[in-house]
Amino acid sequence: MRDAPGMPSSAAHLLRVLQFGDSMLPVGAFAFSSGLESAIATGVVTDAERLRAYTRTALEQAARGDAVGLIRAHGAATGDDLDALRHIDAAVYARKLSSETRTMSVRMGKKLIELGAEIVAAPLLLRWREEIVGGATPGCYPVALAINFAAQGLPARDAFAVHQYGVAAAILGAALRLMRIDHIETQRLLYSLNAGIDADYEVAAATPLADMAGFAPVTEILAAVHVKASVRLFMS
Amino acid sequence: MDARAEPFATVDRGVAERLGLGARELAAFRDEPAQMASGTVGKDGFLRLGFERRGPRTILAELDRRIPGMAQRALYPEQALPDLAWVFMITTTGCLLQGDRLALEIALGAGARAHVTTQSATKIHAMDANYAVQTQRISLDDGAYLELMPEPLIPHRRARFLGDTRLCVAPTATVLYAEILQPGRKHHHPDECFGATLLSLATSAMRPDRRLLFTEKLVIEPGRYDLRRTGVMDGFDVFGNVVLLTTTDVADRVDARLGAELDASAGLAYGACRLPNDAGLIFKVLGRETGPVKAKIRELWAVVREEATGTTLSAPFFWR
Repeated sequence: MRDAPGMPSSAAHLLRVLQFGDSMLPVGAFAFSSGLESAIATGVVTDAERLRAYTRTALEQAARGDAVGLIRAHGAATGDDLDALRHIDAAVYARKLSSETRTMSVRMGKKLIELGAEIVAAPLLLRWREEIVGGATPGCYPVALAINFAAQGLPARDAFAVHQYGVAAAILGAALRLMRIDHIETQRLLYSLNAGIDADYEVAAATPLADMAGFAPVTEILAAVHVKASVRLFMS
Repeated sequence: MDARAEPFATVDRGVAERLGLGARELAAFRDEPAQMASGTVGKDGFLRLGFERRGPRTILAELDRRIPGMAQRALYPEQALPDLAWVFMITTTGCLLQGDRLALEIALGAGARAHVTTQSATKIHAMDANYAVQTQRISLDDGAYLELMPEPLIPHRRARFLGDTRLCVAPTATVLYAEILQPGRKHHHPDECFGATLLSLATSAMRPDRRLLFTEKLVIEPGRYDLRRTGVMDGFDVFGNVVLLTTTDVADRVDARLGAELDASAGLAYGACRLPNDAGLIFKVLGRETGPVKAKIRELWAVVREEATGTTLSAPFFWR
């Protein structure tokens, strides 16, 4: 259920993963800082070490929450189970407790499905686009990413890696524009943060959908601070 | 199937035991205490409070209990809102112990208004076997209004606790549910600041037609995740979590009056987010001590009173 059986590890496969994992993919990730803008404004993040810790927190929250939905959705999409996908999408959406994180998830989810429907054009992607456009489902990003990968026969582990990479890359990319840090330092952080990915995958893959959990009150308050802030560069 | 929440029975005395058995996070703690066995008499408490609107006021029409669950008679202490029934819940054992399975049910009929709280803080005692579970099942009919504002939870060292709160709320009803989580008795013992082993706190809400509104599951394991990490608790110790489920109108007005701030030097951070599915809002407060967190929640409470009932919250009672 987790990995597509018999999937050859080819260069073509790698390129598909790279294309959909690229932070340049036009799904709008660059517009969101995931609370970093407020974290810097309030002095929660002041230097590279705090930035690393803030990003690690975001990765852990994603691995225990969204990514659990992503892995379940990959299984449902592989089995062409639309009911299960709607259920997972609603469950992911119901756990997005701030308007900015909801906006980020459904905006990126919709763009990714539109992109996939145009260029991959698998039946499930076309069908899920209809569901989103028709308002039958919110269309959260982790579910959209899972469907996209399942439709291409790419394994859940790769979808998980791309998801987590996107979480870290969005924050570190925003950091370049928000604080005194250079490209080498953010790449160094990204490199070291990526080391925990396989352990995180094993935990997420063993977690049932209903057990999606988290605990990051400071990050949540920063989202609320951002909504009420008068000057904003980013959308979250 | 898509956005439907699991329904809950209006009277379910075995729910705390069942949830404990099914919870993955408690799997490592199934050993029985050397003292009384888990879930036995005195440890499987139950309290059901049924409020109904009768003429000019709300009465406690139904009270069903099993020790250590207990409640005082309804009081009507507020002049500005004389129909609002205040009920103090009591736990005769005075705290939560390993092996406890407690279930609370609160039901408000159409138009009923109540404030439910505890006499004092709820200690979750140190544990060397098993765990404690407390479930809360809250339902509100049309136009009902509930303030569920217990005193803080104080988890002692090595506590393992599962709290599970489910709300079923009519679209025209309002519920304000505030919980405060202390890090432990941090001034008593340095080990007791975030000294609990496991705290699993889930809250979810649905409409009477079972449409899921929101879910939040907080799993706090200080041994596995550093609570001091940036983005988690940073330098804060006390966590207040307040859910306001109400009409979009009231939520808009309350939201417009709330600020959001993170001030590390003052030791206070707070802010509200709009819940999905137009459910209302969730307000989080962090502080270094309990007092400022309580004060901030009281400010929100006063705003909710004004916007949802059109009345002014009484000054704090001297007996509180």
